[in-house]
Amino acid sequence: MTGTTHSFSRPFGISLRTVMPWLVATIVLLLLPFVFSANSTITVMNQMAITIIFALAYNMLLGQGGMLSFGHAVFMGIGGVFAVHVMSYVEVSGAPLPLPLLPIFGGLAGLILACIIGSFSTRQAGTVFAMISLGVGELIAACSLIFVAFFGGETGVSADRTYGLPVFGVEFLRQSEVYYLIAGWLLLSVLLMYLYTRTPMGRMANAVRDNPERAEFLGYSARWVRFYSFIFSGFFAGIAGGLFALNYEIMTTENMSLVQSGKILLITFLGGMGFFVGPIIGAIVFTLLTTVLSRYTELGALYIGTIFVLTVMYCPRGLAGLLMMHEPAYRLGKLRLLITPYLKLVIPVTVAVLGSAAVFEMLFHVRHAPPGDHKMGLYGITFDSHSPVAWGVVIIVTLAAIAVTRALVPQINDAWHDANTVEGGAK
Amino acid sequence: MNHALELSDLKKSYGKAEIIRGVDLKIDKGERHAIIGPNGAGKSTLFNLITRRMAPTEGKVHLHGQDLHGFVPFKVNRMGLSRSFQISNIFPRLSVFENVRCALLYSMGFKYSFWTLVDRSKPLTEAADAIIEQINLTSRRDLPAGVLSYAEQRALEIGLTIAGGADVVMLDEPTAGMSNTETDYIVDLIRKVTIGKTLVMVEHDMGVVFGLADRISVLVYGQIVATGTPEEVRANPKVQEAYLGTAITAEH
Amino acid sequence: MDLILVNLIDGLVTGLLLFMLSAGLTLIFSMMGVLNFAHASFYMLGAYFGYQISQYMGFWMALLFAPIIVGIFGAGVERYGLRRVHQHGHVAELIFTFGLALLIEEAVQFFWGKSQVPFMVPEALDFALFSISGNAIPAYKVFMIFIAIGIFAGLLYVLTKTRIGMIIQAALSFPRTVEALGHNVPLIFMCVFGVGTALAAVAGVIAGPVLGTFPGMAFVLGSIVFVTIVIGGLGSLWGALFASLLIGWMTTFAASYNVGLADILTAIGISKPADMANSPWRDFWQITLSQIGPILPYLLMVLTLIFRPHGLFRKGGL
Repeated sequence: MTGTTHSFSRPFGISLRTVMPWLVATIVLLLLPFVFSANSTITVMNQMAITIIFALAYNMLLGQGGMLSFGHAVFMGIGGVFAVHVMSYVEVSGAPLPLPLLPIFGGLAGLILACIIGSFSTRQAGTVFAMISLGVGELIAACSLIFVAFFGGETGVSADRTYGLPVFGVEFLRQSEVYYLIAGWLLLSVLLMYLYTRTPMGRMANAVRDNPERAEFLGYSARWVRFYSFIFSGFFAGIAGGLFALNYEIMTTENMSLVQSGKILLITFLGGMGFFVGPIIGAIVFTLLTTVLSRYTELGALYIGTIFVLTVMYCPRGLAGLLMMHEPAYRLGKLRLLITPYLKLVIPVTVAVLGSAAVFEMLFHVRHAPPGDHKMGLYGITFDSHSPVAWGVVIIVTLAAIAVTRALVPQINDAWHDANTVEGGAK
Repeated sequence: MNHALELSDLKKSYGKAEIIRGVDLKIDKGERHAIIGPNGAGKSTLFNLITRRMAPTEGKVHLHGQDLHGFVPFKVNRMGLSRSFQISNIFPRLSVFENVRCALLYSMGFKYSFWTLVDRSKPLTEAADAIIEQINLTSRRDLPAGVLSYAEQRALEIGLTIAGGADVVMLDEPTAGMSNTETDYIVDLIRKVTIGKTLVMVEHDMGVVFGLADRISVLVYGQIVATGTPEEVRANPKVQEAYLGTAITAEH
Repeated sequence: MDLILVNLIDGLVTGLLLFMLSAGLTLIFSMMGVLNFAHASFYMLGAYFGYQISQYMGFWMALLFAPIIVGIFGAGVERYGLRRVHQHGHVAELIFTFGLALLIEEAVQFFWGKSQVPFMVPEALDFALFSISGNAIPAYKVFMIFIAIGIFAGLLYVLTKTRIGMIIQAALSFPRTVEALGHNVPLIFMCVFGVGTALAAVAGVIAGPVLGTFPGMAFVLGSIVFVTIVIGGLGSLWGALFASLLIGWMTTFAASYNVGLADILTAIGISKPADMANSPWRDFWQITLSQIGPILPYLLMVLTLIFRPHGLFRKGGL
């Protein structure tokens, strides 16, 4: 608190420790395409980045502002549609617009729409806000089918991104070039959104979330604080939309639908809405999950739905919350006490999960495969889905794995207790 | 001369139920004024009317001569009036430090800015720490406010109320539910932080009231039956009647 | 004139169906403070279970048993799911019911596949009761109307004239007081949730043959039900009835009249642009009432929330 603000280890009053995570992130982002160089992987990474920005924008409302919105996809959608129109305009008129600046237009569109909607929707928080967001979201999504000139109707609007002014000779024909553009915007957006939480408005957003009445008696209009959160959330969602338009070069009514709004709610909650990194984790995990699952099974949505419900019931603070539970142990320096018990858990839990999934897959196959077709492949093994042997093996193995997991629970409890108390584990 | 707070024929009814039946009260600058009365007299309602948490059915409230008609709570607060709540109304998920800092933001000129970083403002941090020091919660500085003990939360509540530099401080039963030692501690704190300010206090604890207040008003069934110095009020037969003569004598 | 009559009947059917769903939902909300996103999913389960049971035991048995099964399932969801999540706050509850809706939709696809199942109107009712200038009114629709009215009457009777109804009404506003008086409020919650979902299931069994039994049926109806209870006022049974009928008639009439915005615009004196294909305003000239019919309820809800946030029938805040 006292002492000089300028010192060798703290130029401009910023310490290396605060900057470290950002430096690491930048380096990782720079190196990723070299590690995963397949085009399809780069596409996945692009999608992840866009989702991260959208999820963080959504969490400005949900986690930090305490406002649950069921219609947030419209801001991303509008941002994207506007960006597509800008791209088309550049193509037609030859205007000298470098592509990297495109997301700004998306952001502006999102911002303006949020100003309009926020003018009446932020008056109250809670259920009224949620319902208004649902109604407005559905209205705009429906309008996207009616106003074909702007939204493109069922086929959506599309454009070509390569007509923008080349940047240092790069015309963004290749996926990897687009990746670096998106990664740059990702870093910038995350930084800006993080810094927002450290500003007076960001702090008051938390206060209004926890106790709007008290905040009023501290001189702040809860309504205005919510409004600010709303419009900035719309801005960054619009940026995500602009990047989406840039990446896929097409925007349809699907991008604004209730389904998309629901998805981002899921992602943010799964990752943990009470922490800044929560949505980031949620976006990465969710994108990975959907990509992997869609490749190997038809039941992906069922599994994700199950994971979601289980998370709400048993782990409502999300994945980030799960990680943060380890903070006391980390502070005490006792984290290593948990390593062995966790390792012991890995095999039984994996087997249990894979086994349960196998049961579902087999059930599904038995029920829905064309009659006579009994062969199915699972985990690299082909077998007859009607064979009682197969069923017996799967069920027994799964039950055994679950039993082993339950048997291990007391050990985990003990290790947890040791790791979290000062005297524990001293042997 | 402008009184700090002036209530003129203030009335509040819910349908046929009249809670406040015409209250006239003038409180001077720098005065320490306590409002006492039996349960159900309408003390909290009176508070809510003054702080504009609810609107009166009739009558006026003047703060430093300004009519508060049509004002909303945050506007009243910006004019220099701040209140605490009977049930602790803090920000449970924020740390003690952040709680106090939020209370300082508006008055230190940050308003609705989103272009400055609060962590980088030394004056803000120092002011917050000074207040935390005053309310004696320095050892709890970084804990979430929700885990504090009841008395500590009440102390934080007072800290939040005075942090903004309001010159009219209204405390709603600040010592409710406290033990004797805790009460003494809070009374000391109140005395310290309200030097030079106007204090309006609702209280049940007569010991607190008589030790702290310059003047007392007694509210019974929505009307003030007596106003005056502690001695005058104690001797007033109407007041003794309202308390059945037992409460006032029992405390001493 | 005849078209109006047909639309009146159709709108009545839609409205009453909507009412069966919104009645349960609004009761659940006002008692437990939970907006049950999965409510329409129970409706869907009712239709599917109804279909499955009718395959073995006929429609009438399905009408009897499907709601019971769904009601028990609903009570179970309340007891083991919702109650657990309740402690984490309203947002968590909302998200839980949202996830549940997703899960049920996937589960239904898992068991019955992605396409529509052939849930048919029972033969006993599969004839035209009467016709209005060539438009046949199926007996089944009349049957639907009577069932819905019967349920409303039954609900009203139970809630206002019986002892258990009084207790439920009291618990609607002051659950803690009712609990302090010795009533088993958690049990009441569980039963109200079960009955509410059973009601939705009845609607499912009845609507399944007419509207089609497919995995998307919950999603299609889901948000409209919310709109209905918000407009009617959360917690008000009469409000739910009024709003349901309003929306039922509104959407039915909008769908059948092809009034275009073009006609209105020309009437005011704005002329049509010469080059329709390329004009940026062409959409406005092409909008018809039947196009915007489905979104009228949402518009009404947003307007209601802005000007009367407590809905049309309820006093006090949402």
